[in-house]
Amino acid sequence: MFSNIITETRGEDTMVRYYCTAGNGMQSFLVEEVKKKLAARDVHQIPGKVLFSSSATIQRVCDLKAAERLFLLLKQDSPVGMSTHTSPAKTASVLRSRLLGDRRQWLSAVMTWSRLQRELAASRSAVTTSNTHGVREKGRGSERQSDEGKKCHQESRKRSHSFTAEESDEKRQRGREQIRRHALELEKDDDVKESEEVCANYSKKDLEQNVESCSKNMKNMDDLGEDAPLESVENVSFRINCKCSGSLSRCAGAQEVSKVMGAGLSKLLGWKADLKNPKLEISVFLSDDYCLLGIPLTRLPLANRSYIKSTGLRSTIAWAMASLAQIQPGFRVVDPMCGVGTILIEAANEHKAACFLGVDIDDGQLQKADENIAFAELQGRVHLLKASSKALPLPSASVDAVVCDLPFGRKFSTRVNMADNLPLILSEMERVLCVGGTLVVLLSPQLSCLLKKLLSHTHSGPKGNKEDESQTGIKNCLVSSSEQQISQIQSSSSQEALTISSLRHQTTLRVSLGAIDGLIHKYIKTPD
Amino acid sequence: MKLLTHNMLTSHVKGVTKGYPLLIKATEVKVNEVEFNPKFVCRMIPKLEWSTLVQAADQLGHREELPGELVPDYEKNGDFLKKVHRVLLEVEVIEGCLQCPESGREFPISKGIPNMLLNEDEA
Repeated sequence: MFSNIITETRGEDTMVRYYCTAGNGMQSFLVEEVKKKLAARDVHQIPGKVLFSSSATIQRVCDLKAAERLFLLLKQDSPVGMSTHTSPAKTASVLRSRLLGDRRQWLSAVMTWSRLQRELAASRSAVTTSNTHGVREKGRGSERQSDEGKKCHQESRKRSHSFTAEESDEKRQRGREQIRRHALELEKDDDVKESEEVCANYSKKDLEQNVESCSKNMKNMDDLGEDAPLESVENVSFRINCKCSGSLSRCAGAQEVSKVMGAGLSKLLGWKADLKNPKLEISVFLSDDYCLLGIPLTRLPLANRSYIKSTGLRSTIAWAMASLAQIQPGFRVVDPMCGVGTILIEAANEHKAACFLGVDIDDGQLQKADENIAFAELQGRVHLLKASSKALPLPSASVDAVVCDLPFGRKFSTRVNMADNLPLILSEMERVLCVGGTLVVLLSPQLSCLLKKLLSHTHSGPKGNKEDESQTGIKNCLVSSSEQQISQIQSSSSQEALTISSLRHQTTLRVSLGAIDGLIHKYIKTPD
Repeated sequence: MKLLTHNMLTSHVKGVTKGYPLLIKATEVKVNEVEFNPKFVCRMIPKLEWSTLVQAADQLGHREELPGELVPDYEKNGDFLKKVHRVLLEVEVIEGCLQCPESGREFPISKGIPNMLLNEDEA
């Protein structure tokens, strides 16, 4: 598909074409979100990305919850065809002709980018001046989230340094501590990656350090005019960030492409390459199916929320789970293993007339959740409770939705295997739900197998759909020594009086959590 | 612990049949300012056990002018909604305990968070 549309004027509106990267499994959520929130047109999916046009304000676009990063589209085209036999000179020539295009295109794109940056900056300063709350806590920075001030995302995004990426299996415990990497290092990453996984993890100490360096950085940024839109389209400093995948990467490495493009752009527009602190960053994605060029619109991914201090589950996934629960005004929503409260916060920000209760057994987690809730200014609607998910102090049929990310790690706080506890945890979730209520859970592929076995085993009604699901579930299972354990548990649990008979399966989705995958399952409670 | 939460909680000690509502014994109560969201309050009212709310507010000495029964047409009564908002979300028990009405078991509230974990023999 050949589409060079950067800006289109339709009457009063100005349509801008964007693309967002999305984690595996998140694309359909993103597609739905852009259509619903931004009245997006010409929505097009390619692996790991969603392209769309919208005339919504840039603030609204930056408010997308299912996206990783946001780019202004420069060019989208059919793949750059090359073979390994092509000489370097010929390769360079092909790249130049396919990727550079004409001068006007570039200038026009940069003008649009500049305008969008101006709009973002304007909304940011509007928040600063109208903000009467001041700085509540050390380390929170000057931007606070208020109902009308959602536009303040950009400020904290631009300021923060710390980044985390990639959860490995061992690290995925209840605490979900994450590895931190420097933001700029990630930008220079040339590895083949279709989806990007980044989360922010702030400890109180980090936040304090951040503020100090932030205020310094803020000054620098203003001096360098990084926040400021481009004065002119001459003398722009830029950097190419290239990612190549598929057979193409064997013909031309990312570095080579960057060099060719860099030299070509300099020649075409008189711009200067600056690897350290460019005004403009050009992203180039080359794969076997397409070539895509764009300019990132924010320094940090949209997935880094300005309103969450310490994340557990990735915000995009948390938001997606909440959206699956179809929360209505007046709903009471419970997360029986809330950890630091990521799901609750994402859900509460999206659904403003519902209330949320987070339950956890661990003081440390509850403390962080408390801080997160205060930071996001959601104390009115999000509350906490210390209790066990195996014994919820809630009356039966009193909750409209249960949304939960079950810890995957082998260790559970009572030092018992999660698989052993799953039947009872599920039973409690089912008990507290009203008829018609939704259950949305995130599990590892292994636990998902167990879940399906548990529910298909106890369900006495017509199997039909369910049977297919459990079969696919079993196919998806990782074959490991723990399977033996699972079948052992199953035989023992069949002797228990399991009351999980009224949950009807709706859907199962596979999502990427970084190094591992998770499965989101949705159930609805039916009358017995 | 806010009274909105208290309204949902029940004692689940083994053998207890009537564990609701829990009695509040507060040693530290705070009243914070919380942004008033009339739509939210409106939507929550039908879900509440009204008498429990009034009783709880009373126990804390913060009942003020909250009526014993729901006023008709409360959706349009801004004054009433504000009163409910205050009692539901602004009054907060920071320290104290919740007591099971049947067994007498006390669940502590610390730093605003109630601890309803049961011991092995109570589960």
